[in-house]
Amino acid sequence: MEHSKEEIRELAERIYDLDAEVYAQLGSSLGRVFNRDRESCVNELCELMLERRQAHLVRSELALISNMARTIQDRSMRKMIMSAYDRILKDVTSLPTSFAEGDILDQQMAAVNALHLANRFSGQDHKIICIGRTYGSGGTEIGFALADSLKMNFYDVEIFNAVLNRLEAEKDLVADTAGHPYKSRRDADGNVQTVYTQPVYTQPAFAKGPDRTIRQRMKEFSRYHGLSKSDAVFFNQSDLICDMAKKEDLIIMGRCAHVILTNNHIPHISIFINAPFEQRVHRVMAVNEGTMTKKQAVQMLKKMDRDHVKYYKYYTGRQWGNSVHYDLCINSASYGIDGSVELIRKMVQG
Amino acid sequence: MNEVMVSGNILPLLCIPFVGLLLCIAVMPLAAAHWWEEHQPVVVAFWSVLFAVPFAWSFGVSHTLETVLECMVNDYLTFIILLFGLFCVAGNITMEGDLAGSPRVNVLLLTVGTLLSSLIGTTGASMLMVRPVIKMNAWRKKRAHIMVFFIFLISNIGGCLTPIGDPPLLMGFSRGVPFFWSLRLLPVMALNMVVLLWLFYRIDRRMYCADIAMGLKPDISRPGTEIRLEGLHNLVFLVMIVGAVILSGTLPGMAAFQDGEGHVRGIRIFGEVVLGWPSVIEIAVILLVAALSFKTTSPDIRRKNHFTWGAIQEVAVLFVGIFITMQPALMLLKSVGASLGITEPAQMFWATGLLSSFLDNTPTYLVFLTTAGSMNFAQGVVTSLGTVPVRMLMAISCGAVFMGANTYIGNAPNFMVKSISDENGISMPSFFGYFVWSLKFLFPVFLLDMVVFFL
Repeated sequence: MEHSKEEIRELAERIYDLDAEVYAQLGSSLGRVFNRDRESCVNELCELMLERRQAHLVRSELALISNMARTIQDRSMRKMIMSAYDRILKDVTSLPTSFAEGDILDQQMAAVNALHLANRFSGQDHKIICIGRTYGSGGTEIGFALADSLKMNFYDVEIFNAVLNRLEAEKDLVADTAGHPYKSRRDADGNVQTVYTQPVYTQPAFAKGPDRTIRQRMKEFSRYHGLSKSDAVFFNQSDLICDMAKKEDLIIMGRCAHVILTNNHIPHISIFINAPFEQRVHRVMAVNEGTMTKKQAVQMLKKMDRDHVKYYKYYTGRQWGNSVHYDLCINSASYGIDGSVELIRKMVQG
Repeated sequence: MNEVMVSGNILPLLCIPFVGLLLCIAVMPLAAAHWWEEHQPVVVAFWSVLFAVPFAWSFGVSHTLETVLECMVNDYLTFIILLFGLFCVAGNITMEGDLAGSPRVNVLLLTVGTLLSSLIGTTGASMLMVRPVIKMNAWRKKRAHIMVFFIFLISNIGGCLTPIGDPPLLMGFSRGVPFFWSLRLLPVMALNMVVLLWLFYRIDRRMYCADIAMGLKPDISRPGTEIRLEGLHNLVFLVMIVGAVILSGTLPGMAAFQDGEGHVRGIRIFGEVVLGWPSVIEIAVILLVAALSFKTTSPDIRRKNHFTWGAIQEVAVLFVGIFITMQPALMLLKSVGASLGITEPAQMFWATGLLSSFLDNTPTYLVFLTTAGSMNFAQGVVTSLGTVPVRMLMAISCGAVFMGANTYIGNAPNFMVKSISDENGISMPSFFGYFVWSLKFLFPVFLLDMVVFFL
């Protein structure tokens, strides 16, 4: 039996609606199977059904919905919902084993890759570029210059500040654990300048906040819904990134933005900028204008790389800097800042 | 027919229906879930008849009837009424709020629940905590492990500190073990809690990260946590049920409830089967409390709790069969228990525990308490069954209480928690799947208990 993608989507919508109907009838949100927004859940279901290895998961989700549906007290309503369930189950069972045979293309990945020729920034999608970078590779400067060149908005530490406002958090008690401790801006002559918010070796990114009293911890527990502060910040950051991505063209630095956007099915381009370790050490020393020894620079870079790996792994389950997770990886030492900007610009604009 | 000969030859064969029923509970939900759901009563009846016919052939119809009625009236009835009462009362208390299920919140909930188990019983604590735990973790996908550790800690291990915690300890209390003696088990419970909660935290953190990596996130759009509890007056009913349970353990020892021969007075059902007045009082109080709870609580609260009869119905049906078909196994245990050569605390711990994993832990506890009491020890805890050394009594108590967690059928609340979780969108492991969790996490902890406390 042939199934077009439209039919699969329609089936996914029916499954989502069935779940919603069951919970509307039961009047309880206890353990709802699909408890996120409709669009995300439907997209996820489509992907599961399109993927040979994941199709059984749809059946298992359906089984959970039927468990709930069987507890509906109104007999006629239960019968009606179970009939709808049976029809859906029949359709799901008749799905072909795979839609993606014979190609290395990962449909899930391709669907959100804005560089993919077939999908290149469709009319409704905003242009979004996510840049991950190692510290000292010039990634922030590249991102900033690229934003200027493409007339796009640039977000780095601004996201974190917006989240703080959202959380109504006391700023001195929260450390930005996802960004680098500097900002880039253009000087009067139009050259990219790196401005450090604090001396890098006294307050590096990923630094732990100050020690807190038990009272402060209790207050935090309540303020952040029992979550750790860093998790609460990450969840709010995720919401904010998705909101922004729906409204404007932008470049986002770090913050696992490309994974967040992938999970939310928002097309984007993901870029990772790196440079040989020695080059990075030299750059950090140069930018610090002699206030940092080589030993200090090496130690700081190693620590920041370790913290980056940990942070990225914790929130994405992925290996930071692994090329398979990005659409494009650049060695900035090969191109320089302006060369890298030009390379990306050409690629994006075609 | 000679009973000893019967015990030696026939009883093991008569255990086949029990094994058959357990296998059905284990395999059928995997092999034919839909059919199993609709035909559970038929399967239970089939294995019960398969037990009753050869049993009647071996022991006579009258003895069979007496055996079945004895377990139904004196074991099953009080068991299911208690479960029913707690299920109703806990289902009328709801917690609404936006506390997000995270590893540390879950550790906190499991800790509170475990400590609560000794105050209001493992069943009471399980019923009270199961919905809030499910609710707080509703945003997550990978949740089965939370409920598995819930069963380990709240439904079993937490109940070891007082006779209210778990029925075997209540039975020990009614046999002369002092009420607060069980507090001696605190170091064992603390060790188990620390190890299991640490393991749980590690697993939950991994699963939590996997959920986040999938893009799941809780709704924390509003700053600050709000928690609302509704139906709190039901806590009074909960305390009343706990009181009824304590009464059922203390009243049989009072002269007013005993006849001239020291037997508990009650309603004669058939032959030697008597439903004691203390049990009648317990049942009456619990049913009254359940009715009052329903009468005084808004149906809206039950709706928010997704309260249905499915879970209690499933447990009621399956456990009729389990209670009936396990009789030959219990008889066998009683007849050979003393001659098993179990004389050391470590042996008592494992023997009581492993048997409690599949059989009712109350009679298992009694068999080994009787065995220990008959060993003529000079020092220890003085009970009506004899003097039992402290370490040995600790081993028997811990074995009976802790190892009920080994299987879904090891303790009453286990299956209830599983059923409620299944009904609320959590894909719980199968019977064997759950047993694998026990093998991986509980058995090493029990080995540690043995080395530290019982060798």
